[in-house]
Amino acid sequence: MISRKSVEHLRTAIFIRNLEAKSEHEAILKLIGALQGHPLVKDLSELSAAIFDRQQSDPPLFPGGIAFPHARTNSVSSMVMVAATCPQPIPFGEMPVRLIFLIGVPKHAGAEYLEMISFLARHVRGDQVIDRLVQTEDLPSFLLAFAEHP
Amino acid sequence: MDKIGENSQTRTLSPLFRQLLRLKVWTVERFRLSERQVTLIWAALIGVLGALASEVFRKATELLHYLATGSESGIITSFSRLPWWQRLAVPTVGGLLAGLTLWLGNRLFASIRQKSTTDYMEAIVVGSGIISVRASLVKSLSALFSIGTGTSIGREGPLVQLSSLAASLVGRIRRFPIPQRRHLVACGAAAGIASAYNAPIAASFFVAEIILGTVVVESLGPLILASVVAAFVSQAMNGSEPLYKSPGFNLHTRWEIIPLSCIGFVSGFVAPAYLRFLRTAERLFSKVEIPIPMKLALGGAMVGALAILNPAVSGNGQGVLRSLFHQNWFWDEVLAILVLKLVATAVAFGSGVVGGVFTPTLFIGAAIGMLYGQAVLFLAPDLRSDPAMYGLVGMGAFIAATTGAPLMAILMAFELTLDYAIAPFLMVNCVVAYYCSSIFERRFMYGESLERKGAAFFNQQLAEVSIRDLVRLDPLTLAKNATFAKIAETFVQHRFQHIYIVDKEKRLLGAVSLHDVKTFLDRPELETVVIAADIMNEDFPCVSPLQGMSEALHKFSEANSERLPVVDDLSSKRLIGSISKTDIILHLAGEQNSTGTNRRLGKG
Repeated sequence: MISRKSVEHLRTAIFIRNLEAKSEHEAILKLIGALQGHPLVKDLSELSAAIFDRQQSDPPLFPGGIAFPHARTNSVSSMVMVAATCPQPIPFGEMPVRLIFLIGVPKHAGAEYLEMISFLARHVRGDQVIDRLVQTEDLPSFLLAFAEHP
Repeated sequence: MDKIGENSQTRTLSPLFRQLLRLKVWTVERFRLSERQVTLIWAALIGVLGALASEVFRKATELLHYLATGSESGIITSFSRLPWWQRLAVPTVGGLLAGLTLWLGNRLFASIRQKSTTDYMEAIVVGSGIISVRASLVKSLSALFSIGTGTSIGREGPLVQLSSLAASLVGRIRRFPIPQRRHLVACGAAAGIASAYNAPIAASFFVAEIILGTVVVESLGPLILASVVAAFVSQAMNGSEPLYKSPGFNLHTRWEIIPLSCIGFVSGFVAPAYLRFLRTAERLFSKVEIPIPMKLALGGAMVGALAILNPAVSGNGQGVLRSLFHQNWFWDEVLAILVLKLVATAVAFGSGVVGGVFTPTLFIGAAIGMLYGQAVLFLAPDLRSDPAMYGLVGMGAFIAATTGAPLMAILMAFELTLDYAIAPFLMVNCVVAYYCSSIFERRFMYGESLERKGAAFFNQQLAEVSIRDLVRLDPLTLAKNATFAKIAETFVQHRFQHIYIVDKEKRLLGAVSLHDVKTFLDRPELETVVIAADIMNEDFPCVSPLQGMSEALHKFSEANSERLPVVDDLSSKRLIGSISKTDIILHLAGEQNSTGTNRRLGKG
């Protein structure tokens, strides 16, 4: 089942190709930096603090090297997302990560958040899918790679 | 307390278990009978019981009437055939027997009455929904003697009393909680009125508008069901004809709309005087210091004396009311019977006869309407007005003005006559009469005492109870890093709607709601990646033991939850327990939840 809302959020995501970083912290900072001036972000530093705070307890990771740094915070007025491909895996704890989805979601949108995490976890599964996503060059081809594996 | 560590819960649920969890939640949510649905089912049964109780009383009244007068005809016909001394003696002896019954009952069952009420209205509004059986039967037997021997009082009072008693017994036998018992007694009252007047819609609104003081679907639904069932059962036994079938009216000219729309003013201005007249009679009789049997015998004798002058004053007025609508009455005849009936009703009511004044009030309203109609006919003969039509409208308007319940009055008058032609005039005049009456009188027929009792009881109970008394210790908690799998499992194992999330020092961080996660219970991909901190509501309201119950009730309305977390104080927010709506309601109703197994903070 495809969630239209989740697809819509993905369609409006910021895409970063070939993210390079030496650490989890640096990678997340770069993704947060991409949200500078985003119309839905009310307070970037608060969003940043919330995401790093969430990373302190059980950082959400999926097998195959996917990270979901996220936070429920009222520093965003609606869900925002940054997707990044990392051909050179970045260590997140002990896991080398090749795809990062940074998500900021308002506190009242808990169901939306669960829907999005569920959507991503279902679609980004298996080495072939991850390889294809990592190799994409822009957001349209990234979305196309998603669509090939509904 | 559930031992949930701070370490992440990495165990996942098997697909079969997950499906079972989801199936269980789905099944429980859809097929569990709520309190409302259970009430609805019992309301139907109470409708049957109410109608049967009413029928038994009706038959008993007819039998007693036959024994007293030797006639199977209606009360007025029977009285008109009696010699003058018997017209005097029958209600006098009836009053004496009614008084003796009350006197004996008071002596024998005084201790019972102290524990439970005999008043169905009190049982619904401020009581525990328990009506004393023996005391109610005593009152009904007393009413039987009075009504069967022709006293000018309505029999709807004992009909409603018995029907409410049947409902109260159902509530007690089934051990329903107090609010449900009260609601069932309300259904019993509605069933009694519906069977007395063959008016199920008005019966529902009578109880909702006058006794419950609210016309919301939640409470109205069971009332309607009980009333309709009671009406069906009564119709099966007595026929489905409306009580005061309209002969059918037509306006001869559109100009008649004007005088027809003004009856409400007359009724509205006369009704306060009528209510004061009844209260004055009650006050005067209270000054007569004689035993109850003698007082009721005196009342009966006065009605009997009036019946010597005109036998139509005897009984509740139903027969003479029918006659008003279907036979030609001169204005002086209407005036005479109105005055006599007014006095007879005030005497019966004032002397303390058990019964109702609803039917006599219907008659008085109709007679006033007819006199007004006669005046219109005299002043504007070209309108060719039918005074009986004015009588029907006046009946509804006067009930609206005396009960302060215009909606019920409109429906009642309409159902009693089933004449759609008068419906628009009823609507206008009932509303006008109510507003006019309100200018002079704020103490309507049923409302004032109930309002006073209810408000005083609630405020007193609310002031006496504190959160500290009702806290249940050791609430269900999880750590903020508890996985989604653990949260789902916890919800299925317990029947709570919220799980409180705490840190290592047991400080309250928020609450996870079942409502928020139930649609995601079958998503295995969420089980390890989502934790409690991701989905908890950090602004979930909490209370401290030092806060008052009014604040707790306010927080409950914010949280839309059955329970609220209780913290030691609102700054440190260390969780010490929870407080539930059910416990508050039980406490306010005067009962402790003895089934609770958790410890309480208690007083001190």
